[in-house]
Amino acid sequence: MRVETVRVIAAREYLARIRTKGFWIATVGLPVLMAAVLVLPALLLTQTTSAHKMVIVDTTGGIGAELAARLSDSPELRRVTEKLEETLEGVDTAAIERKLQGFVPILEPPSLDLPGQRAELDRRVLAGEIDAWVWISEQGLAEDRIEYHAESVSNFVTQERLARAASSTIRSLRLVAAGLDPEEIERLGRSIDLTTLRVTAEGSREEQAATGVVLAYVLFFLLYIAILVYGQQVMLGVIEEKSSRIVEVIVATTRPTELMMGKLLGICCVALTQLAIWLGTIVVLTLPGVVARMRWLSDQFDVPTLAPSLIVHFFAFFVLGFVLFSSFYGSVGAAFNNIQEAQQFASVGAIFAVAPMLLFWMVLNDPDSMLSVVSSLIPFFTPLLMLLRLAVKTPPWWQVALGYLLTILVTGAMIWVAGRVYRVGILMYGKKPSLPEIWRWIRYA
Amino acid sequence: MPSPSVELSGVSKSYGRFRAVDDLSLRVNGGAIFGLLGPNGAGKTTSIRMIMDIIAPDRGEVRFFDRPRRQKDLARVGYLPEERGLYPKMTVADHLVFLGRLRGMSRREAVAATRLWLARVGLAKWSAKKVEELSKGMQQKVQLVGTVLHEPRILILDEPFSGLDPINQELFKELLAEYRSGGRTVIFSTHIMEQAEKLCDEICLISGGRAILSGSLSEIKRRHGGNAYRLVATGELDRATEIAGVESSIQQDGSLKLLLAPEIEGADVLRDLVGFLSVQEFRSEEPSLEEIFIRSVRDAG
Repeated sequence: MRVETVRVIAAREYLARIRTKGFWIATVGLPVLMAAVLVLPALLLTQTTSAHKMVIVDTTGGIGAELAARLSDSPELRRVTEKLEETLEGVDTAAIERKLQGFVPILEPPSLDLPGQRAELDRRVLAGEIDAWVWISEQGLAEDRIEYHAESVSNFVTQERLARAASSTIRSLRLVAAGLDPEEIERLGRSIDLTTLRVTAEGSREEQAATGVVLAYVLFFLLYIAILVYGQQVMLGVIEEKSSRIVEVIVATTRPTELMMGKLLGICCVALTQLAIWLGTIVVLTLPGVVARMRWLSDQFDVPTLAPSLIVHFFAFFVLGFVLFSSFYGSVGAAFNNIQEAQQFASVGAIFAVAPMLLFWMVLNDPDSMLSVVSSLIPFFTPLLMLLRLAVKTPPWWQVALGYLLTILVTGAMIWVAGRVYRVGILMYGKKPSLPEIWRWIRYA
Repeated sequence: MPSPSVELSGVSKSYGRFRAVDDLSLRVNGGAIFGLLGPNGAGKTTSIRMIMDIIAPDRGEVRFFDRPRRQKDLARVGYLPEERGLYPKMTVADHLVFLGRLRGMSRREAVAATRLWLARVGLAKWSAKKVEELSKGMQQKVQLVGTVLHEPRILILDEPFSGLDPINQELFKELLAEYRSGGRTVIFSTHIMEQAEKLCDEICLISGGRAILSGSLSEIKRRHGGNAYRLVATGELDRATEIAGVESSIQQDGSLKLLLAPEIEGADVLRDLVGFLSVQEFRSEEPSLEEIFIRSVRDAG
């Protein structure tokens, strides 16, 4: 194999792809999307009026007022508001606060004509004067329920919050009625949070569970998408060369293996460029300074930082996974004449790529289980699953090494087989080859 | 500089039980245009692909420049396959530079040669356009330039004239003549005998993967001449083939062409013909390559 020839082919492949609009739309689009996911909620909070205007009618007396008070003041809400004030000086936090709380409760006394009042409330909902009305009655309380009337009842989050607030209000009132002190009730009823610590060789550090999951999730899917998308690109590229009849012009002075290698190398570099831009964006977005500005947005998790060793593994597994899958895809492209024919066969490869997705939660939940260890050592799964394990919990070094070794061996075998199918396939036009024919190509090429 | 010769000796290739090329030997010398002739499926493309090391022969050897072929010899060959195309999304200039670089030119050489050749074929203004924006005829020109950009000493063209418009046909013919006069070698395949007849110095006729005729065109004609006669006559022309020694007759331009068995004298046939026809003209005629071919295939089979 001549290095110069491979280089010329790879350079053409790289430039041809880097110069397309599609590449830049995807490359810039994803980080913009990522940033948007972080920034947009803040923008929406200041721009939209999503407060839920709700009339509360309490025919029992005593509960409505408590519920209204609880709906307009919650401890979580207070925490977020404090954060907001820290990070966003000069912003009208009161306005945001009103919107964050979600409810604008309006307490109205029951009238003498209850059916008439209910009809009137329905009319106000339909007229858009209010969003909903809540009806609290003795009969309902006996069955542990209150009524919620609205034009749309699919707003699960709002309903959930309302139900929770109502439950705790009514529970407290019942406990007071049973003779308990309100402060005592508050103290006894507090819920418990988990402080999660990740144990690593460098010592324990506090890391919220959600953080690890998000990081693993992002890396896993970036890798999955990159391997699958670029593997398909190799296939489409080979089919294009075949259908545009350029391939024989090239193999006149180039060995098919050189053409295939140049193609893989060129497209691999395109993918690495894109991944580098994406990971770079993640690194920048997770810099401490940036994180501080974003923190108020989500109190639920700390923003993770990418360990350098994980970045190295990420790229190593990408290259291996890419070469493994795309040499398969390349040979499929060579064997068939058009995308339709090739697609049937390519789906076989997709099965190997999709299988790790099915194992994702299992491995995430218990990265050291027998199933996780074994499946992460199956070469077609290793790039995705071993990376996932590395992201959540450092596996024993020998498992990582064995994973690399097996994947390299299988990749080498795949290149050999693919090279043979490719060599024969690229010059075959017309009839769709059968599996026995492809088997013959592998044996006699 | 060694002579740009191409030689095949005892080359065979089978696909399963099908013999595509069977013990083919031929030699092409510099300064000649060599035609590889035969009907579709005769084994022309397979032979050319074996010359180009695109497929490996089961048996036999390919020689370039009077010695066994080496990989780097191929960079001195200009090859235009039958299935030919271009990357539609590349610009004309980028595409040609890319092909030149694959043939071992440096970037600078390739750029200079591209400019020169595009000017020569009248496509200088199109160099920054994408291939897909060009007409089919222009794309054919780009393919031709891509084949000769690196100034090869040997030109191998598989069915070069199929699908060419008349202007590009002329361009190709001009180029072939140039190569011949420059002492270089041209090999091309075709199934159209008239074309070969006009262009070739030497030919090899193949059918069913076997060479059935080869040598210089003029010598082949001499060897196979003398058996054909042109007859202009009135009367029962159909009876002409009933005469002993007349193998077949072909109606052509209001006259009759008679193919005689090799040992038969024209004078004897004429004596019989005047018995039932009023003969205006009867003269010996050189057979066309097509006739020679048809007869050779029949004799071989």
